[in-house]
Amino acid sequence: MNNKTYKSVVRSGWIVMLILGINILTAQLAHAIPAYARQTGQNCQACHAGGQFPELTPYGRLFKLSGYTLGTRDIPISVMGVASLSKSLHPDSDPEFAKDSNLIFQTGSVFLGGKITDNLGIFAQATYNNYDGDSGYQGVWGSDNFDLRYADRFISPTSDVIFGVSLNNNPTVTDVWNSAPAWIIYAPTQFGVTGPDASPIVDNLGAQVAGVNAYVMWNNFLYAEIGDYKTANGVFSFLSQGTSDINQTKLSGNNPYLRMALTHEWGANNVMVGMFGLNANIFPDNTVQSGPTIQYRDRGVDAQYQYLLDPQTVSAQFSYVRETINNGAATQIATNPTNTLNSLRLKGTYVYQAKYGTSLSYFSTTGTADPTLYSSANASPDTQGWTPEIFYIPIQNIRVGLQYYAYQKFDGASTNYDGNGRNAKDNNTAFLYVWGAY
Amino acid sequence: MNQHTIRLMGLSVALALSACSSPERSRELNDASIPVHATAQQVCANCHGAAGVATSPNFPNLAGQTQPYIEKQLTAFRSHARSDPEGYEYMWGLSAHLTDAQISGLASYYAQLPPSTGNKDHFGTAVMRSQGQQIFEQGIAATGVPACAACHGAHAEGNDLFPRLAGQHADYLVKQLKVFQSTDQRPDGVAMKAVTHNLTEENMMNVAAYLETVAPIVK
Repeated sequence: MNNKTYKSVVRSGWIVMLILGINILTAQLAHAIPAYARQTGQNCQACHAGGQFPELTPYGRLFKLSGYTLGTRDIPISVMGVASLSKSLHPDSDPEFAKDSNLIFQTGSVFLGGKITDNLGIFAQATYNNYDGDSGYQGVWGSDNFDLRYADRFISPTSDVIFGVSLNNNPTVTDVWNSAPAWIIYAPTQFGVTGPDASPIVDNLGAQVAGVNAYVMWNNFLYAEIGDYKTANGVFSFLSQGTSDINQTKLSGNNPYLRMALTHEWGANNVMVGMFGLNANIFPDNTVQSGPTIQYRDRGVDAQYQYLLDPQTVSAQFSYVRETINNGAATQIATNPTNTLNSLRLKGTYVYQAKYGTSLSYFSTTGTADPTLYSSANASPDTQGWTPEIFYIPIQNIRVGLQYYAYQKFDGASTNYDGNGRNAKDNNTAFLYVWGAY
Repeated sequence: MNQHTIRLMGLSVALALSACSSPERSRELNDASIPVHATAQQVCANCHGAAGVATSPNFPNLAGQTQPYIEKQLTAFRSHARSDPEGYEYMWGLSAHLTDAQISGLASYYAQLPPSTGNKDHFGTAVMRSQGQQIFEQGIAATGVPACAACHGAHAEGNDLFPRLAGQHADYLVKQLKVFQSTDQRPDGVAMKAVTHNLTEENMMNVAAYLETVAPIVK
């Protein structure tokens, strides 16, 4: 695409956003915040378990599945900001430690969220990252989560079918359970070491791809979703705004996504078990969209349990993703023709009175060693650790949290993982954040 | 205007046309023309159940509840007269734009649905239920607690503004008894303030455990 055409499609994308915004903005002023709470008039905790973003309650899941359309159109704009302080045990010269011990304004987001028509609603987030850009230290605006959906619901006292279609920019952003890769870990920082270096492709396509997904929820029991993802360029380039062309993963052709889940609610409890699959064929060079591709096959199983009875909130998530990476005819990508990468995540959360919360997460990434694919001394992606967290929600729009990332293994070893004497625990990082939304 | 812009404007028009959706399946809360059964099924059902029987004990069952009681509660949510936490967190916003006719219609809709068959939560023990039944039927003479059945009916079926309690979630009943006893957040239930004054938490748990198991009477 030449530069002129590129600019024109970008402009067209913004025109669509503007028109959508105008469609929504034909509404009256009202009293509350943020956008969805204004639309329904309800507290955040009606939809978010224990008031903690982003985990959804059964009611929040139905709100999302029915296309964000419940309620009355209102001002559809919300803002969110995160200030943070990270402190690592032994920071070194790596850029991820550049802001160690500094209190920084991390990110700010503007949301366009809410009902457009009785069947059409949107969740669109543009984020200003204060430390981004190609140099890593520029403030950059870009597309973040995007989910525009059309939904309808046929319900009677004896049956309930919700179906819909979503245009989105990240596999699993459409999901309504917190065990989905897009939602399970809340770590709004790129400073300090907040996870394994290697993660499945399903974790790494946000704001780079465009997907159209169709879904159905039958009797609040069976959920099925099928989608197709392509590179977010051309008419869909507004979905990848802020991601420079050279940094944008390029998918080849159609890349199918499938999601199935069974859910059951009894008393104050609800449980979900599910699976997903994503096949992604990716060009090895982001700037060359031709030739052989690398074939990623992600297969995931996940589960979630919630106990929600005021004033208690208990929830647990499990997610296991097994990825096979086949080089195909692509060269210089990996030494092995095929590699595997496995990502396990467990999380448990307790919140009291939607104010005082604690959570504990475990993450374990394992995979085949490959000296080309992984440049670390052990040529291994294996990383394990724990993340305890405490948080406080003084009012529903503010959350103060302290997370600690404690590593047992990093890049294949507990000690001397880089060959220069650095140990896994040297990456241990404390992360204090203040999150606010209006 | 280039081709892309034209295409995208076309898309937007198509989106705008989708506004022509069926009021029979609308989740709009500020439109008096939406049929009450649509509002009940598309909105209220999310918490109170498609048949008016809530799965979660956070939310009361509405099926078979007396029409005047539901009407009065919705009116109180709308005016913010009822301000217990579950009330304002969930119900103030949802009721804000409902008309009197919609409120009355919703109350009638739920009043005619078959009530819960009870004992969904298995809240209490047999001993608790037995003691709760005694409080419900006879009150507690020693502390001057009147029998609940005097107003709520021998089978807890409710009467006019006195709500049906039979088959209601026990956790919800306990929370509301505490609201009556310790707060002024439900001024319409001022009579209950005196009734609950001498109830202990154990009394409340027992009577709620009993009421949760009470099946509807066959008329």
